Formats: sequence, structure tokens, C-alpha cells
Amino acid sequence: MSELLDLVPGCLVATIAAPGAAVVCVALIALASRERTSERVALVLVGIALAVSLAASAIVALAASGLFGPGVEGEVDFGAWLSVGSYEVPAVLLVDTPAVVFSLLAAALTALVARFSKTYLHREPGFVRFYVLLGMFAAGTQLVAFAGALDLMFAGWELLGWSSALFIGFFHERAEPARSSVRAFTTYRICDIGFLLAIVATHELIGSTRIAALPAVALLPTSVTTAIAAMFLFSALGKSAQLPFSGWLPRAMEGPTPSSALFYGGVSVHAGLYLLLRVWPMLEAAPAVEFVGVAIGLSTAVYATLVARTNSDAKGTLAHATLAQVGLMLAEICAGYRELALLHLTGHALLRVWQYLRAPNAIHDAHRIGHEHVVPSFLSSSRPHLAKRLYAAALHRWRLDERLDRAIAPVLGLARWIDVTERRLAAFVRAGDDSRTNDRRGQDPRGGAS
Amino acid sequence: MLFAAIGEADVAPWIVFAVSVSMLFASTVGQHARYTLLPMVLVAALLAVGVSAADGMLGYATLGLVAFVHAATAVRHSRIGAISLVLAGISTAVAAMAVGSDHVVLAFWASLVAIALRAGVMPLHFGVVHLGDKVAALQAQQFASTLALVFLHLRFVDHHPTAYELAPILVRIGAVATLLPALAALVQRDLRGLYRCTVAMHGGMLLAAVGAAGHGHYAAALLVSVTTCLGVCGFGLMVSALEQRAGRVSLEGLGGRFRAFPRLGAAFAFFGACGVGMPGTAGFIADDLFLHALWEESVLGTVLVVLGSALLAVATIRGYTRVFLGPPCASPAPDLLLGERLVAALLAILLVLLGVVPNLILGPAAALLGS
Repeated sequence: MSELLDLVPGCLVATIAAPGAAVVCVALIALASRERTSERVALVLVGIALAVSLAASAIVALAASGLFGPGVEGEVDFGAWLSVGSYEVPAVLLVDTPAVVFSLLAAALTALVARFSKTYLHREPGFVRFYVLLGMFAAGTQLVAFAGALDLMFAGWELLGWSSALFIGFFHERAEPARSSVRAFTTYRICDIGFLLAIVATHELIGSTRIAALPAVALLPTSVTTAIAAMFLFSALGKSAQLPFSGWLPRAMEGPTPSSALFYGGVSVHAGLYLLLRVWPMLEAAPAVEFVGVAIGLSTAVYATLVARTNSDAKGTLAHATLAQVGLMLAEICAGYRELALLHLTGHALLRVWQYLRAPNAIHDAHRIGHEHVVPSFLSSSRPHLAKRLYAAALHRWRLDERLDRAIAPVLGLARWIDVTERRLAAFVRAGDDSRTNDRRGQDPRGGAS
Repeated sequence: MLFAAIGEADVAPWIVFAVSVSMLFASTVGQHARYTLLPMVLVAALLAVGVSAADGMLGYATLGLVAFVHAATAVRHSRIGAISLVLAGISTAVAAMAVGSDHVVLAFWASLVAIALRAGVMPLHFGVVHLGDKVAALQAQQFASTLALVFLHLRFVDHHPTAYELAPILVRIGAVATLLPALAALVQRDLRGLYRCTVAMHGGMLLAAVGAAGHGHYAAALLVSVTTCLGVCGFGLMVSALEQRAGRVSLEGLGGRFRAFPRLGAAFAFFGACGVGMPGTAGFIADDLFLHALWEESVLGTVLVVLGSALLAVATIRGYTRVFLGPPCASPAPDLLLGERLVAALLAILLVLLGVVPNLILGPAAALLGS
């Protein structure tokens, strides 16, 4: 069985590179061809790539399981991705239980959703775009799963963010998906500031961004570790839609059902939790951040449960149910129950993908069979006023988005002031130039664009 | 290692030259700007002399001439742009004389002013952005030679103790010049405004990178300048291509142009994303390297630059959404033409190549500039 072990480095590369290569191929074909790219080209190329990725991930899982000789575990080094002087970003992948579980789960669910979408999105105008984004997502997820260095993980993390935003705006003819896409991307990008700063700080303080080197943070002062761990937590909160950043998740349901299932039921929404599992040594050395993580996780669970009970649409209810479970997982991780959280994550992802994919049929069934009679809850019988208030607050989702909008309003005010000042200065500098050049030329060199 | 046979250090100027010439070609073909063909050939020849010169004086003198050629081409369209280029040319000429007479401090400042004027660092950005508003092809061409100017700065004047002492200050100034336009980008009401802010924001990043290079981060600074110039050039060409088809593009509502221009939309998204550090492109590597270099000079500067980059990313996706998404609007204009596609593909390939194999430029740059 040593052949199986020899295959591991190649398989690790294949899990990430196959979907990435398919995306590049489809994009080049689309750019080069005169006609619109056919569904078949995208389906075959991305489909094969996802199958290769799944097979490679399964081989790595088998090799890591220890069923065929000594289990593979640890770093697989491919040299330096970039190296300048003393600074180096290693091209290193890490094989351990969380990585194998997350990779296999993501690869299997992505392949499943790809198969499901073949019929679900048949003849949809964005069919090719959907598969390109699916390939991009698959490459990003596998990179997040197996990355052995934080820089590499961030690369995958960003791919998830971009593909997620583009998936939400998939039905681009409608206004609401477009707005929701910007809101989700804004949340991602602002929270990514934490990840990026944490990576740079980790490198400067312990001299490496290798995940295997993170236990060295135990030697740092607690205040420093707390600051870095807080940045990682901040980033995870955005990706996993925890309070106060929960508002984007229900809006993200504007995307196609298969992508909602994959992103917000199966994989992407759990990426923040996976990040915390990866940087566990950092969290472990920062008890204050652990406490905050538990508090936020439990608060999100309560918030999402209440909101889910007032939701009148299937996908919105599922989104909040997902949030509640992800909140519980966050609390589990921050309380130190990492194995339990990983098990919870796996089970939850599988169940949720099935529920999301079945949602359209469930709605159809509900219309056919009729709704179940709602029994008044204990709270509404014993404390009707409190129940009414809670209901109203949950119905408006605690006005979370409005509160966030109010919080960033001063920033936009500052931005407008900068813009106005810049425009006034520009008008002063340009005075006379625009009219002079236009008079001389008689027309704009861009061909009448102005 | 790739270039071990011919010496890594010897290859670096020619890589810079190749990227610059690609941008010159892209701007002329992509914009159908035949009137810039002759200046382009002249600029390419001068750039070959400038980047390969072993003597700083010759290099700077040649690039001073290049700035005057750009100014002469621009004067018919944008007086402010031409004045800005003339000032940059004079600064470059001063740098040439100062290098020749061993006044390296003067050369450092003159070179820095020229870079700030050419890259569009706020508040010296008015000339460059006006040039972009009036004739985008010329702006892209002058970015090509800005890259060569940064290369000369890193090679000949950035090793002086003054550069070392001024690094933290330049980084802070660059960081503020990054954040302000990024903030302004969030509230732009037309695509041209977004592009202006993008140029100014990248100018600020370039200044911060050049500042950080004073502590030895030469390769990082060069990669940032290559990425900035390529990304902004590509983004600018797509903005102009769209304006040629749709006139002035408002960001007030949803434009719904994706169905009419799917390739243009994809290329717009790609170059916009590359400018804000999308993985798989040189933008990601440049940001990664740059931030590590920046952290050593100023933690606050790093935070400001990261914030600026995030805000510009938000503004870019907002711009993409407002321009391309929404209820479809019909247009008789064609999608990207063959020449434009060729140009977009060329720039995209360069950005992806440098993103996947960054050592292609980092190795030779470190070998030459670090020595």
C-alpha cells in the first residue's frame, strides 16, 4: 500500500488545481469563441475537474485514515511559493483530521450540487457562469482545507468570498440580488481585514505563517496573542454570519438554490469555524477571546432561533436555522470542544444541503398538503406582552442591518466630504482646460464618450 | 534559478521592459489609438535604453525624455495632463543630473516627485486623472513608463541612507494617500469617478511601497508597481471600452449591461478584482509581500493600507453591480472586439502568470536590486 502513500502529494495538488484549471479553461474558451459557450463545454470540463478533486480528496482521506499502513499526517512541502530575501511563503499543505474531513465533505457536496444543477439550471442563461463559479469555489475550498500556511489559506478564503458574492448576484436581472451581493461582499471584505492583519502580525511575531508553527504563540505576551486571536475571530464572525454580521445570510438566499445549499448550508458558512479550528493554538492562548466567542455564538443561536420562528419563507427559515447551529458550533469551538464541533459541522452540513436542495419541493408539498396548525407556545399563553414584543423584534430581525448602516453612516459622510473637496480642487486646477481642449478638437478622442 | 544560465540580475531590466512594452501595445491596440503609434514606438525605444542603462544618469535622462514625449502627445487633449508630465520630466531630468553629480539625496527627492506625479498620488493626481478622462490610451502609456521610472528609483537612488531614514514617513504618507481615495471611491456617482479614485488609491500604494523599499524591500516594491500599472491599465481600458459603447456611465442605479456585454463585464470584474488583491493574480502576491514589508515600517500604515484596499474592493464590486447587473438594457454596440479581447487576454495572462509564478520577477528583481 506504499503506492497509496506515494500518491498523496499529487492528490493534494489535484484536489486544488483540477477545479482551478477547469475554470481557466472555460474562461479562455469563453473569451476566445465568437458564440456563447455551450452548456456542455462547461459541464464536461468542470464536471471532470470536480470528479478528479473528489477522487483525490478520497485518496488522501484513505491514506490519512491509517487503514492501509501508517496514517499520513503532517506537512507536505512543495518548496517556496514566493521567496524574497528572508521572507518566504511556503507552498505547504497540511494533512490532519480536520483538513481531511473538511476537504472530503466539501468535495463531495460540491460534486453533488454540480450534478443536481445540471438539470436544475438547464437552459438557464447563466449556466456556464454558474459552473465557472462552482469551479472557483471548489478550488478555494480545497485550498482552505489543506493550506499549511495562513497566506495560502487566505488565498482560498478570498476565492470563497468572491465566488459567494458573484453567486448571490447570479440572477442579475433583478435588483435585490445585486444589492444583497454587495452587502455580503462588504461584510466579507471588512471582516477579512482581521484575517490579513492577523497573518502579517503572526509572521512578524513568530517568524512563520505555517499552521504547524502556531503553537509558538504560547511564548508571546497574552495581550499580543489576545489581539491576534481577536482578529481571527472577527474574520470568522463575518464569514460565518455571526452577530453582529448575521444580516447578510438571509439576503444571500437570492442566489440559485444549489449555490445556497452549497454555500450557506454546506461549506462556506462553516469556513469561519474551520479557520478557528486551524488557529486553535492562538485561541487557546487567549481566554478572553474564547469567552467572547462563546458569548457571540450563543447569542447568535438565540437570535437566529427567534427570527427563524417568525420567518414566512422556506429559505429564510433555513438560513436562520443554519445560523443557530453555526452559533452553537462557534460556542463549542471556543469552549474547547473541537472534536464535537467538527462532528457537529459535518452532520449539519449534510443535513442542511439536503434541506436546501429539497426546499422547492417542500414548498410545493406544503401547498398541496396544507399547513400544520400552529399551537400557541408557552410564552404566548403565560406572557402575551413579552411574546408580542419578541415576535415584533424577531420579525424585523432586531433591525440588525439598520443598526449596522447607522454605524457606518459617519464613514460615508467622511467619504462624501473627501469627494466634494477633491472635486472642488480638481475643478480649480482644471479651470479653462476642459473648454479649451474641447474647442480645439471639436470632439472627444474617445469617440464622443464624454 | 529560472534564469541562472544568463544571470538573474541581467534579466530584471528586460522583464520590466517586456511588461512596459506590453502595456504600451495594449493601450494603443485596445483603444484603437492609432495617433499614439509613433510616440509609442519612440517611447519603447527610449525605455529599452533607459531600463538597461548601467548608469543612473543615462537611465533617468532617457526617462525624462520619455515624459516629454508623453507630454507632447497629451498637450492637444489635456493641458493639465501635459503640464503634470512636463513637471515629471523636469523632475526626472533633475534626478539624472543629481545622480551624475553624486547628489543622491537630491536625486532621491526628484525621482520621488516624478513618481508621485506620474503614478497619481493624491494630491498630485489631477494631471494623471485628467489625462485619463480625456484620452485613456495616453494615460495607460504613461503608466508603462512609470513602471520603468520606479525600477530606476529602486535601482539607483533607493539604497541611500536618506531612503532608509525617510521610509517610515513615506509609508505613512502613502498609506494616507491610499485610504483617502479609497474612501471617496465608495460614494462615486459615475464610473469615471470610480476609475479616478482607483488610480489615486493605487498611486498611494505605490508611494508606500517605494517608501518601504528604503529598508530593502526592493522586489516587493517592484512587484507592487508592476501589478498596479498592469491592473490599472487593464481596468482603465475596460472603463474606456464601456464608455465608447455606452457614453457616460452612471452608478446611481442598476445599469443591467451584462447581457449586452458579457465579456466586457467579465474583464471589468477581473481587472477590478486584480487591483484589490484577488488570489491567483499578481495583485494577491503584491499585497501579501507589500503588507509584510509595510508592517516593519509602520503598523498604523499597514492598517490604513489594508483598510484602503478593503474599501476599494467594496467600491469596485459596487461599481460592477451598478454597471452590469440589474434589469437588462439592450445595446446595439458590440461586446469586446477581437483586438480588445486580445489586449485583455494579454494583460490577464501577465497578471495570472505573475500571480502563480511570482518568482519569475521576484528572483531577478531581488538579485539585481538587492545587490
